[in-house]
Amino acid sequence: MLLRMMKTVFRLAVSVKWPLSILSTLHSVAIPRKKPRNAVLFLCLLASVKVFAAEPLNQSVHSGLTDSEVVAQVAIEEPSYQVVDVGVLAIRGYKATINRWQPLMGWLETQIPNSYFRLHPLTLDELAKGVETQGLDFVITNPGQSVMLARQYSLTWLATLRSPLNNGAAMQVGSALVVRADSPYHTLSDLKGRRLGIVSKNAFGGYLTLVYEAQLKGIDLPRFVGEIIPLGFPLDNLLYQLDDQKSGDNTAKDNRLDAAVVPVCQLEQMQTEGLINIGHYRVLDNQTPVGFHCQVSTRLYPNWSMAKTNRASQSLAKSVTQALLALPEDHLAAKSADSAGWTTAVSQLAIDQLLKDLDMHPLQTPWWQRAWQWVKLHQQWAWFVLGILVLLNAYHFWLEYRFSRRGRELINTQRQLNENRALLEHAQRIAIAGELGASLSHELNQPLAAIGHYCHGAEVRLQRGTSPEELQSVLALIQQEVTRADNIISRLRNLLKKRPVSKQPLYLHELVNDTVPLLAYEFEQHQINLAVNVSGEPYLQSLDEVGMQQLLLNLLKNAFDACVQRLELESSGTEQSVMHKPYVPTIDIDLRYQERTLLLTVTDNGTGLTEETSLLMQAFYSTKSEGLGLGLVICRDIAESHGGTFSLESAMGGGCQAQVAIPRKPEPNGVL
Amino acid sequence: MSLALPVYLIDDDDSVRRSLRFMLESYGLKITDFDSAEAFFTTVDLTLPGCALVDVRMPGLSGPQLHLELVAKNSPLAVIYLTGHGDVPMAVEALKLGAVDFFQKPADGARLAEAVVKALEHTKAHHQDNQYLETYQALTPREREILNLIAQGLKNQEIADSLCIAMRTVEIHRANLMKGMQVGSLAEMMLIYSRIAERLRLEDNR
Repeated sequence: MLLRMMKTVFRLAVSVKWPLSILSTLHSVAIPRKKPRNAVLFLCLLASVKVFAAEPLNQSVHSGLTDSEVVAQVAIEEPSYQVVDVGVLAIRGYKATINRWQPLMGWLETQIPNSYFRLHPLTLDELAKGVETQGLDFVITNPGQSVMLARQYSLTWLATLRSPLNNGAAMQVGSALVVRADSPYHTLSDLKGRRLGIVSKNAFGGYLTLVYEAQLKGIDLPRFVGEIIPLGFPLDNLLYQLDDQKSGDNTAKDNRLDAAVVPVCQLEQMQTEGLINIGHYRVLDNQTPVGFHCQVSTRLYPNWSMAKTNRASQSLAKSVTQALLALPEDHLAAKSADSAGWTTAVSQLAIDQLLKDLDMHPLQTPWWQRAWQWVKLHQQWAWFVLGILVLLNAYHFWLEYRFSRRGRELINTQRQLNENRALLEHAQRIAIAGELGASLSHELNQPLAAIGHYCHGAEVRLQRGTSPEELQSVLALIQQEVTRADNIISRLRNLLKKRPVSKQPLYLHELVNDTVPLLAYEFEQHQINLAVNVSGEPYLQSLDEVGMQQLLLNLLKNAFDACVQRLELESSGTEQSVMHKPYVPTIDIDLRYQERTLLLTVTDNGTGLTEETSLLMQAFYSTKSEGLGLGLVICRDIAESHGGTFSLESAMGGGCQAQVAIPRKPEPNGVL
Repeated sequence: MSLALPVYLIDDDDSVRRSLRFMLESYGLKITDFDSAEAFFTTVDLTLPGCALVDVRMPGLSGPQLHLELVAKNSPLAVIYLTGHGDVPMAVEALKLGAVDFFQKPADGARLAEAVVKALEHTKAHHQDNQYLETYQALTPREREILNLIAQGLKNQEIADSLCIAMRTVEIHRANLMKGMQVGSLAEMMLIYSRIAERLRLEDNR
C-alpha cells in the first residue's frame, strides 16, 4: 500500500516539477553579456540597465521582456551588429572545436546581415550552465546533451547535422568499444573486472549509449567492469592511452587501460587525420549497419543538432534555420564540421527512451526529492512514523536501563551465591569433621596414651633408683609423640578453617597420603581394605589443598558408607549370601599422573548407585538419613574450580566409581 | 616368683606398644611385644602360663578374636584388654570370656601393673588346673568313676555295693588313684578334685 502511495506521489511530483522548471527559467534574471565588442553595445546594455533600474520593484515587467527584445529595441534606435552567442560542446579540445565550427559561424554571418556569431566551445557542464543563465542564443550539441538540455530549459530544435559518409543520414551517434588488437577480449562480457577508459560519465556517444546497450544485454556496466576511468576531453587521449606504443614507457603496465569507449567514427577520423594506426585497435561487438562506414558497438542515435534557447528571437531562429538548411554539401562550413550540411530536426525519442531506462532522465527528480514530496503530502503518516521511531527509541533506552539494573542485581546475586557456597563448603567440612570424630579421637588418643605411658614409666623408674641421665632418651620419645599429636590437630584445624580459596603447587599423592589416615581407623574397624595406587611420574599441580582434601574425604566417606551399608545387608541378610564368596569390602584410590590430566579415581564395592547421577549431584539431595546432601555437589564445585570434571558411575561388580579429572597446568616458572 | 612369667604385649600401634613396654618394664615385668595377633600365635607356646595384654582393635585378628582362640585351646594365658576408647558392651563381652581386666588407654601404670600381677597369679593357677586335669584324664574310667563316688562322700563299702564289685577291688583302685594323682592324702585329692570339678562339668555339658 505504501508503495502505491509513493508512486502516486512521485507522479504528482513530476507533474508539478515540469511547470515549475519552466517558470524558474522564465523568472531567472538575465546576465549581462560577455565582452561587449563596441560602445554601441555597451550603450545598449546601459539602456537595459536603466530599464531595470527604473522599475526595480516590478519584477513581472522586467521578466516579461526577454533580452533579445531589449537588444532589438536598442538596435532599432541605433542600427548595428547583432551579436549571437553560440555554445558548442567541445569534445576534442578548444582548438579542434574552433576549427570545426568557426566556418559555420562565417556561413551564418554571410547569410544573416548585420550579425556577429560568437562561438563558445564549452564542456557539458558549462553548456548546461550557459543555457540556464541565458548566456547563449544557440547551442550545438550531441544528442544526449540535447535531450538533457531540452527538457530542462526551453530549447527549440532547428536542424540536425547530416553525415557526409552515410548518404547524409542524420543518425550518426553511438559508441565504439575499442581494445588493443592483440588483447584477448572479444566481447563486452570479457571485460569483467577490467579497466575501462571513458570520456565522462555524462558523455552520450562516448559512454551512455554503451551503458544502455550493456543494460539491454543484462549487464550493469559500472559494476561489471573493475574500474571506470573518466579521462575527459579531448577524446584522442583515450585511444593514445589504450595503445602501448603511444602511451610511452612511463605508464606502468597495471595502470594501462584494458578498453576505451569512444564516440562512433572517432577511430576512423583519427586514422584519416594520420594520428593513429587503426590496425592497432579492434572494436568489440561491432554491429555496423549496412552502408555505414564506421565501426560501432551500439545502435545509432541522431547526430548533433542545433537548437535555439529562450534568448534568441523567433525571427533570428528562422533566419538561422534557413541558413543552415541552405548550406551546400560541399561548402567549407559543412566539410569542416565533418558533415554534409544540415537537415530538419530529427526526433529525439530514442534518446529519451535511453535516458529514461538508465534512470538519468532530467525530468526524473532524485529519489530524496520524491521522498520529501511524499512526506510533505502525507504529513500525518510522516508524523506517525516519527512518533513510532521516538517511541521505539524510548522503549530501547528503557530496556537498556532495565537491563543494566538487572545486570547489577545479577552480579550482586552472584557474589552472594559465592559467599553462601563458601559457607556451605565450610559447613560441610565441619560436618565431615564431626563424622570423622571417632577416627580423630582415636588418632589423637594414641600419641597421648604413649606420652602418658612414658611419663609413668619414667616416674616409676626414678622411684626405683634409676638415674635421671638414663631416662633422658625417654624425653625424646615423648617429644616424638607430641609432634605426632600436633600434626593431627593442625590437619584438623586446616580442614575446619574458614579460608579464602588459595591454590599452591603440590603433589596430589602426598595430599592423598595425608588424608587417608584421617579415616584409617574407621576403615580398620570395619575391616575395609583400602588400597592406594599411584602411577605415572608425579608432578606439581596447582591445587586448593583444603578443597582437594575435602573432596577426597567426601569420596572416601561415601565409599566407606556404601561398604558399611553392604556389610550390614550381608550380615543381616539371608543365608544365601553366605553361600557365595564372603564379602570383602574394598576401596581403591587410583591416582594417575597422566601427561595432560591428573586423574583421581575412588572405587568401592559397596551398595552402588541407586539413584540417577544427576539427582545425586543436586544440592540437598541425600540417600542417607543423616546426610546433608552437599557432599557430591561440593565435590563437583571443587573439581570445576580447578578447571576439571567430576563424574560418578556404577563400578564393575556393584559399587560405585567416582572420578575427578583435572587438566594439567605447567607451573609458570617452568617447573613441571 | 610370678613376675618371672612372660607378659605378651600385642598392639599394632608402634608408639603405644613401645611406651607401654617401657612403662611395664619399669615394674620389673618380663615383656615380649608383637604388632599383630598372627605374629603372637606363631611365636608363643600357648600351653605355658603367661599374660597377654591385647589391643582390642587391630588389623587382622582383633583382641576378642585372639582371646576366643586362647579359650578354645584352653590356654592358661591370662588376657587383659587394652582399648583406645572402651565401650561397655565390649568390656562385658571380654569379662564373660574370662578376661582378667579391661583398660582404657592411656592406662594407669600402677593399676595396670597390679592387674598384670594378678593375671600372672591367675595364669599360674590356671596352668596348675590344666596339669591336674591332665592327670585326671590319665586315670582309667573305673578310677574316675570311683573318684567321683569318693567325692560324693561314699565309704569304700558303699562304693563296692553301688558298683557291684568286691570291697578289696575298691581299695586297690583307690591306692592306684592316690598314686596317679600324685597326692599324699585324701584331703589333698579332694582339694584338687574340687578345682577341676568345675571344668569337668563344663566339659560334660559340651
